[in-house]
Amino acid sequence: MRAAMSADHSLPETHAPAEAPRILPSTQTGYASPNARQRRALLMRLLGTYGTIIVLASMLGIFSVLEPGTFATIGNFRNIVNDMAIGTIVAAGLTVPLVAGDFDLSIGYVASFCGLLVVGLLSSSGLPILPAIFLVVGLGTVIGIVNGIVVSKIGVNAFIATLGTGTIVVGLNYAYSGGIPLQLTQSREFTNIAIGRIAGVPHLVIIMAVVLALLWVILNRTVQGQHIKAIGVSPESARRAGVAVDRSRIVAFAIASTCAAIGGVLMASNLGSGQVTAGDSFMLTSFSAAFLGSAALREGQFHILGTLIGVLTVAVGNNGLAMIGAPIFTQFLFTGCLLVVAVALGGIGRRYARG
Amino acid sequence: MAQKMLLSLRRICRSFGGIQALDDVSLDIARGDILGLVGDNGAGKSTLIKILAGAHDPTSGDVILEGRPQKLSPPSEAQRLGIETVYQDLSLIGTFTAAENFFLGREIALGRGPALLRWIRRKSMGDIAMRGLEELHIEIPGVRSKPVDRMSGGQRQLVAIARGAFWGHKLLLLDEPTAALGVRESREVLDLIKRLGAQGLTIVMVTHNLDHLWQVCNRVVVMRRGRKVADLASSGTDMEDVVAYITGARQPATAQAEA
Repeated sequence: MRAAMSADHSLPETHAPAEAPRILPSTQTGYASPNARQRRALLMRLLGTYGTIIVLASMLGIFSVLEPGTFATIGNFRNIVNDMAIGTIVAAGLTVPLVAGDFDLSIGYVASFCGLLVVGLLSSSGLPILPAIFLVVGLGTVIGIVNGIVVSKIGVNAFIATLGTGTIVVGLNYAYSGGIPLQLTQSREFTNIAIGRIAGVPHLVIIMAVVLALLWVILNRTVQGQHIKAIGVSPESARRAGVAVDRSRIVAFAIASTCAAIGGVLMASNLGSGQVTAGDSFMLTSFSAAFLGSAALREGQFHILGTLIGVLTVAVGNNGLAMIGAPIFTQFLFTGCLLVVAVALGGIGRRYARG
Repeated sequence: MAQKMLLSLRRICRSFGGIQALDDVSLDIARGDILGLVGDNGAGKSTLIKILAGAHDPTSGDVILEGRPQKLSPPSEAQRLGIETVYQDLSLIGTFTAAENFFLGREIALGRGPALLRWIRRKSMGDIAMRGLEELHIEIPGVRSKPVDRMSGGQRQLVAIARGAFWGHKLLLLDEPTAALGVRESREVLDLIKRLGAQGLTIVMVTHNLDHLWQVCNRVVVMRRGRKVADLASSGTDMEDVVAYITGARQPATAQAEA
C-alpha cells in the first residue's frame, strides 16, 4: 500500500501537467483498491507462513558474512545443534498443550527442580542411575497431570494455574535444596548421558531426535493427537463430537511436564551438578521457539517441526551475537524482541489463514 | 400405532429455575417423518430439540424410543442410540478435513486401549467418508485434503449433515440448517435433506424459514410459549395458518388440546 501511495505522488509531478488528472490520484490514495487489499492479505499470509524461516535465513546470511571464519563453520553448527538439544526437548513438550490451546508456565521450574532432584537422589540416596531418572521423570509426569486436572476439572485458567503450580514447584525445590546447588558425588556414568557420543553423534542430539519423533507421531498419527488438535481449535465442537476433552488436556499437560523433567535431568547431567534455577530460562525460550514455530509453514498453528525451527532460530541468533562479540545484554534484547516478533507473526498467520 | 412410532414424548415438562421452557408437550415421531419445528424465539423449540439430543433431561414426562421408555442423556447416549444432532454452528473443526471431521471422536484406528496408543488410519477414514458422501450425491472437492475452513458455508453444512446422517441411523436433528446460507446453497442443503428423507431417515428440523420447511417437511409442529399449539400435516395446512399459530393469532381448539 505504501508503495502504491508514493507512486501516486510521483506521478503528477513527473509526467502529467499539474491541472490535468487530479481525480485519478486522489481517488486512489483515499481507499485501498480490492487488488491492493488482496496483495496485502497474500503478503500477510506469506509472513505468517514463512516469517520465521525468513528471519532464520537472514540471520544465517548476515552472521555468515560478518563472521565467515567462526560462525559459518561446520564445527560451530555442530555446537549450535548440541547446545539447543535440551531446550528443544522442553520446547517440543510445551508445543503439545499449546496445540490443545493451553499455556504451561511451569515447565521451566519443573526442569530446574527435576535436575536438582536427580542429583540429590544420586548423591544421597544411593539409588542407581536408571531408577533415579525414572523416578524424577515420573514426578514430572505427575506434576503435569496435576496441572491438567486443575485446569480442566477445576476450571482454573491455565495461565494462572500453571503459574501457581510452577511456584509450588519452586517452593519444593528450595525446601529440598535450601537454595544451595548440589554437587554430584556419583561417578562419571551420569554425566556421560549428556556428554557422551555414539559414532560421533552426541547423545543429546540422539535423545532430542527421539523425543521429537515421538511427539510428532503422537500429535499426527494417534487418536490422542487428533483429539488434542481438535480441542485446540474448538473444545465445544470436539466435546459434541464425543472427544474426551478433559482427558486430552490432562494428557497434553502431562507430556509437556514429562519433557520438562527429561530436559532437567539432561541439564543436570550436562552440568554435572544440581543448580537451583538452571532450568527457569527454558520457559521463555520455549515460548519464543513455539510461537516462532507457529509462523513456520503452518499459518499460525503450533506444530513440532515448527518448534524445532523456532529453537534453531533462537539458537542461531544467540550464537551469532556471541560470535560477533556483541555484549551480553544484546542477547536479552534479542530474545525479548524475538518473542514479541514471534507472537506477532503467529497471530498474523492465524488471522489471515482463511484468506 | 405404537409399532410405527420411532419416538414418542409423553407430557414432557422442562423448567429452568422459574421459567417453564416446555409445558406438557407430547409428540409422536413416526419412522420416515420429516418434521418441521417452528415457533417464535423462546417458544421452546431449542429446549425440545436438546431433549431429543440428550443435552437436557426433561423435568417430568417420558421419552419412549421404539416402544420402550428411554433416557437419552448424556448426548453420547443419544448418539449411541442412533440420534445425531447438527448444531447451528456446525460443530466442525475448521482446520480438519471433511474426512477427519466425519470421524472426529469415532476415529478408525489400529490398536486398543488409551487414545495415545491407537494409531489413526487416515486412509480408511478418507475412503469411507468419500463413499459416504458419494452415496448422498454430495460432490465436494478435497474431502481428504482441504480444511473445511476453506470450504463455502454450504459445503460445510453438507459435510455436517452428511456426518450426522452417516452416524445417526434412527433420527437426525437439524438446528436451522439453512440459516446462514445463500439461495443456491440452501437449495443444495434442502435437496440433501429430501434425499435423506427418501432413504427413510427420520428428521426433525428447526427452522425460521417456512418456505424451506414446505419444500422438505411432511409435518409441521408449532411451538408457542413452551406449548405445542399445532401439529399438522403440511399437505393439510398452509403458510398463513402456520404463521397465525406462531404469532398466537390462532389458538388451538380446546377440545384438541385436551385430547
